[in-house]
Amino acid sequence: MPLIRTEQLTKRYATVTALDSLDLELESGIIGLVGANGAGKSTLIKLLLGLLDPTSGKGEVMGLDVSRQGPELRQFVGYMPEHDCLPTDVSATEFVSHMAQISGLPHAAARDRTAETLRHVGLFEERYREIKGYSTGMKQRVKLAQALVHDPRLMLLDEPTNGLDPEGREEMLTLIRRIGTEFGIAIILSSHLLSEIERVCDHLIEIEDGRLIRSSPMAELTAPTRVLAIEVDGGRRKLADRLEAAGISVTESGRVLLVQKDDDSLLDIVRDAVVELDLGLVRLEQSRRRLEELFEPATLTAQDDSNG
Amino acid sequence: MTDSAAGSIYDLGYRNYDGIRLGRRHAIWALYLHSLRGVFGIGRSFWAKAGPIGITILAFLPAILQLGIGALATQEVNIFEPEEYYRLIQVLLAVFCAIGAPELVGRDQRTKTLSLYFSRALRRQDYALGKFAAMLTGMLSITLLPQLLMFVGKAVTGDDFGDYLRDNWEDLPAIVGSALLLSSLFAGIGLLIASQTSRRAYSTIGILAAFVLTFAIAEAIFHSADEDVGKFVLLVSPFHVFEGLTLWFFDVSPDPDRRRAMVDLPGIVFVLEAIALSSLLLALLIRRYERISA
Repeated sequence: MPLIRTEQLTKRYATVTALDSLDLELESGIIGLVGANGAGKSTLIKLLLGLLDPTSGKGEVMGLDVSRQGPELRQFVGYMPEHDCLPTDVSATEFVSHMAQISGLPHAAARDRTAETLRHVGLFEERYREIKGYSTGMKQRVKLAQALVHDPRLMLLDEPTNGLDPEGREEMLTLIRRIGTEFGIAIILSSHLLSEIERVCDHLIEIEDGRLIRSSPMAELTAPTRVLAIEVDGGRRKLADRLEAAGISVTESGRVLLVQKDDDSLLDIVRDAVVELDLGLVRLEQSRRRLEELFEPATLTAQDDSNG
Repeated sequence: MTDSAAGSIYDLGYRNYDGIRLGRRHAIWALYLHSLRGVFGIGRSFWAKAGPIGITILAFLPAILQLGIGALATQEVNIFEPEEYYRLIQVLLAVFCAIGAPELVGRDQRTKTLSLYFSRALRRQDYALGKFAAMLTGMLSITLLPQLLMFVGKAVTGDDFGDYLRDNWEDLPAIVGSALLLSSLFAGIGLLIASQTSRRAYSTIGILAAFVLTFAIAEAIFHSADEDVGKFVLLVSPFHVFEGLTLWFFDVSPDPDRRRAMVDLPGIVFVLEAIALSSLLLALLIRRYERISA
């Protein structure tokens, strides 16, 4: 049974089509959902939760129909919205434990799991204080905790690093990666930052103007290219000339020479050339594609500002 | 990176939850209990409690006075009759409703917590029902409870417990029936108005206006217009409606000086109106939550 399956899933508003005939079949894993603002990411997430009714088509999560079997399904789903969603004058402990019960957990289990979950997301003594005194980072942790407290099989995280500083962002991504791997919970992570998706996810879906542009495993997208990167100690120019003389086209990129690798004999040629010129070989590797190279800069905010 | 020191001390590894999941009914029950606490400000700051609990105490005051005087007096003294109780505390009822209902539904809208409720083991109408039940219970605690306290107190302090019950048992269904209808009506009006806006001040004023303005308008038209129109005008004012239905439940004729028209309108009309209006208000409340964006 696939984790998520949609058939011609469509959401139309008076003037815009937010999601257009989406056909999707996803297996469990950590799935990145990318697209510009307004591309339909949040709409898809809300349809999968049953927060919105589809205009047409249907969606299934873990084999349950999102429109008809909502309450049953949502016992096993956690949702972290993009926007603020926390009450101000209750403590994190009280709020998260209440939310656990609304997900169907008995009172005592809700209490126990709240204590554990808040520890996992890194909230300690402050969990007994009213939420209104929390920093943005702490609030994001509470939002994550309420989505995790009932041990869901799937978590839908809508821009979870919004508003966080670089350090907080880093911590949040580490935590999400842990939830997906160690805790064994499937995750759909929406982000407009490719670097985040690349760091955390195993699979990527791209949506643009409500349509599915691509759905592929991350390993495929960032597969090794046929470009060989060579870095030598000095004499870069000499090596380039030597390779070109051998009929190989060379591109210089900073301190690195890029060569199109058609077969393995190229490796021997490069090695021999380096030895003959008596250069120090620093790096000889097949470069991997970066996710950002796949996307047009205009489509997405691709600048890497998350590794601060 | 994560706080590694704290991590190594507290990190016991993640445990999956294999226990029972109680689903939708439990979710509604939990929402109800949580909301009921909210009506009285329990689990919140002192000031959040002060209003509702203060009003609750005031609402019990007439019953307590009656019992105190009754206990001291040598013969049976009735400062007021059960059917007059709600009229004595009608302003308190309206204020309780105007404070409680925005607290119950406005907060979740203001803080956008609705999205979190609707993405759990609930349906949207369950949310409306849970909130309505909580507000109804809150209202019952200041309508039904003081009446019951007074009834039981009179029976206990009277000369003969059994005699009192035999003579007055008919008051019990009247107490329960009138309290239920009156409380549904108030809960419905309060919640429907409060669910229209996330601004507490607006909904509080709106709810008070719904009671006070309709009362004033009904009174004004009633006194100026001719009798045939006047008596129907009373049907738009919740204060008049609950007075009418209470008199019917206790089988008492209205005071001819205060409400001439009620002599003409059979009491059952007010009862039926309260039932119809409460149902309509609840249906509108459910509809509101089926459509609200979250």
